[in-house]
Amino acid sequence: MLPAPAVFHFLWEVNSGPVKEGDSVRTLGRLHNLSSMQHQVVVQTTFVEPFDPIIGAQYIVLGEIEKAEGGDGVMAHARVLNCVDGVNLVLLQRGVNEQRSYFRERGESKGDAATAARPPAPL
Amino acid sequence: MQPEATEPEEDSVWEEPPSMLWGLDPMFNAFNRLYVKDILHMRESCQVSGIYFYNSHPIFKVDVLRTVVYKREREDFFCHGVDDGTGVINSLCWKDEQWREQGDPAILWARSFGSSAREDFNPASELKKLRQAQHSSSHLEIGELLRVRGPVKTSRQQREIMASTYYKVSDPVMAVQISWMMEVPQLYRHSAQNIQGGSASYLLGRATRILKDFLKEKEVTRFRPYDIQDLLQPLVSRQPQKTASEQEPEAGPSSGPPTSFKQLRELLQKCLQILQDEGLVFRKVKCQDEVYHVTERDKDLLMAVRDILREDCRREKYAEKGCHILHVLSSVRQRYSRNVSKAALELVLKALECNSDIISTSDSHYTIL
Repeated sequence: MLPAPAVFHFLWEVNSGPVKEGDSVRTLGRLHNLSSMQHQVVVQTTFVEPFDPIIGAQYIVLGEIEKAEGGDGVMAHARVLNCVDGVNLVLLQRGVNEQRSYFRERGESKGDAATAARPPAPL
Repeated sequence: MQPEATEPEEDSVWEEPPSMLWGLDPMFNAFNRLYVKDILHMRESCQVSGIYFYNSHPIFKVDVLRTVVYKREREDFFCHGVDDGTGVINSLCWKDEQWREQGDPAILWARSFGSSAREDFNPASELKKLRQAQHSSSHLEIGELLRVRGPVKTSRQQREIMASTYYKVSDPVMAVQISWMMEVPQLYRHSAQNIQGGSASYLLGRATRILKDFLKEKEVTRFRPYDIQDLLQPLVSRQPQKTASEQEPEAGPSSGPPTSFKQLRELLQKCLQILQDEGLVFRKVKCQDEVYHVTERDKDLLMAVRDILREDCRREKYAEKGCHILHVLSSVRQRYSRNVSKAALELVLKALECNSDIISTSDSHYTIL
């Protein structure tokens, strides 16, 4: 059985709403400490343990979104955790936006295309 | 780039181009970089199984760069599920036999060279390193990036890519993925522009056929363009949906009249030009009022040609051999209409000959009976 496709979302979008519980997403963030990442997305790494964490490095997380315990913020249950430290964030953002604007032109109604909000300063 | 939601309705009216023309489409022979979503939703051809259609381009090979999210290993092959954010698809990657066994004759052969080879080059160990490199590039774990190229197959109701080439891509700072993300929309837009070329000639062929059939069935003698333009309306009303990326999105065939009307006019003009070039129709008088005469039904033209032949064949010059077609053409142009083309005259002469009014004495000479 193949898992559901994971659409790319930026971290601020994961928190703010367009992403629903149970969705598969792919996102990028900096590893803050072993139990959380910045922008308050907690990443559950049970599926990818053991992995060699580099604190402060940027990681791509692919996984399902769940409600975090305690009710605030969201949690990502990571199926894939890749270290991509050194990635050119500006280019990545441009690439994602290029893809989204193309899908928008096509007239697809994808959740992320509709809510590509103005991002805050990069991580 | 029509939305997928309208596909089921389109299916019943959209006709595949004939398989003989598929080779003319450059996308047919290329490994197409498509989103997984499009690969999964491509329509399979009714003419040949194994060929799929994306936006009326025939496709059978694809090229994908995706993250592995699922892996299944068997003795002979790997099955990787790959995800690009728009969908997940299986790729079947056959294992290369070379790295598998230990007692490889090539390694034994290399070892036999070991003693006589130079000290700094050991064929056996070099070959072993090569095998290991091959092994590591073909063994992937979940989370790694895979590049696959190969034909698309449908097996057990599921689409999969049968990999003819596959390898692991090392992309530590996502440079390869980012450049892919930037490139693929451009490729899609480029192919959407090209769609005008390929399907346009096919559309034109259909439109001309429709007009010819109509003129024949209804035994039309004369017409004006607006009399027949409604016949082409159904062909044009499908077009705006296919090229929505280049125009504002339209709700349906009846909306956006300026654009579809313009296309209709253009299509009609092209068809009329083709019919004129073939001689099926001609304009007796070129003026503001566009009236087209259907050649074979124009009694006056037939009579004029017959009269020309009757008169000229009495003259000594033409009595024996008959009149050359070009001579008849210039006479017709002087007497009847300047706009009769050679193709039209040929049709008239053929019709007269079928009626046994005239007879051809040679390839291009005619005489009256």
